[in-house]
Amino acid sequence: MAADPLVEMMSQVAAGDRAALRRLYEATSAKLFGVCLRILSDRSECEDVLQEVYLTIWRRADGFEPAKGGAIAWMSRIARNRAIDRLRARGPLAGAIDVSEIEIEDTAPRAEALMEAAQDRGRLGDCLEELDPRTRGVIRTAFFEGVTYEALAHSLEQPLGTVKSWIRRGLLKLRVCLEP
Amino acid sequence: MSEAPELPSDEALAAEHAIGLLSAAERAQAERRMAVDPGFAAHVEAWEARLAPLLDEIDPVAPPASVWPRIEARLPANDDTVMLKKRVSFWRGAAAGSLGLAAASVAVAVMLATRPPTLIAPPEPAPLLNASLKGDAGITPLFVAAYDPDRKALIITSLVPPGADPVHVHQLWLIPADGKPRSLGMVEPGRSRAMPMPGDMAPMIAEGATLAVSVEAPGGSTNPDGPTGPIAAKGALAKI
Repeated sequence: MAADPLVEMMSQVAAGDRAALRRLYEATSAKLFGVCLRILSDRSECEDVLQEVYLTIWRRADGFEPAKGGAIAWMSRIARNRAIDRLRARGPLAGAIDVSEIEIEDTAPRAEALMEAAQDRGRLGDCLEELDPRTRGVIRTAFFEGVTYEALAHSLEQPLGTVKSWIRRGLLKLRVCLEP
Repeated sequence: MSEAPELPSDEALAAEHAIGLLSAAERAQAERRMAVDPGFAAHVEAWEARLAPLLDEIDPVAPPASVWPRIEARLPANDDTVMLKKRVSFWRGAAAGSLGLAAASVAVAVMLATRPPTLIAPPEPAPLLNASLKGDAGITPLFVAAYDPDRKALIITSLVPPGADPVHVHQLWLIPADGKPRSLGMVEPGRSRAMPMPGDMAPMIAEGATLAVSVEAPGGSTNPDGPTGPIAAKGALAKI
């Protein structure tokens, strides 16, 4: 695999290079803004989150370990965590969405699009495809929207324990499927 | 409901944290647990890695041009943390060199040789403990330490070149089995020092206890319960 230019920028940022932080921002801010918007759906809040995220990257870049995953995954984790923290501050049901959105998300038979996406997503995509559509839909919604079990159960009009059970069974299947 | 198998509860919690399903209180608890439970942290990281390909599905959205100037304005004018990091990595380079290490070993040996002679049939002396304190990625130690249980003295040698960082001091910490850091005092760059251990501290200096050096503003950590600045080096005590 080609060397990741982001990894090099990260090491420059870790050494205190502001110009490198600027380059890193230019290369990654649209992605992280997108990650945040999926969770908060509020541009102005995500602008604040973005500031916190890059200030965190500036302080913690020396803790980034390329061996544990790509730079974008590391930065996305920070962005998701900041966004989810803000979502939680709105209350446990924040982000609860219409049940129809969960259903539509994955059961609509956009065969070609799904095939393409599955190829791009590699093994995780294949393994998600093996789950039943409801479980897949719930896990994907939870990941993208960053909502709590409580909010999911509320949206799906199902008991909390039932939703938990769907997800935990689905996660076990996913792990087994992803094992080398 | 059928009894289909689920993920074991500990790993389920880790996966749920990685996905972002936990409530505010549960999230805070999971983060605290990650800091002290490496097995749990590894589960969370493994699940983050498994799910990371989903991030590819998120479309980028360009943020407004006003965001970067706001970030730039909040970067500290004279970022102390970053300066410290640079200095720490400078030491890592500077301390690598067998000369420094050899000199330090001699210094420790000389100090140990001053162990008072015993005149009467000596009981078997308690074993000496030693530790090499290294930085995160370091192979060569930045500090070496030896503890003589008979004299109740800890001999610490700094391999940090004197003058490398005139702005900060190096504070030595003992982290015994209870995990709570105790300050042992300051260590001057390039110097060896014998620290007598008070009666209440001596029993905590045992095999497996950790010694760590933090980089602090003059006067030392403002927090009595642990370092304020970054940890430059650490190592565990072992029998020689």
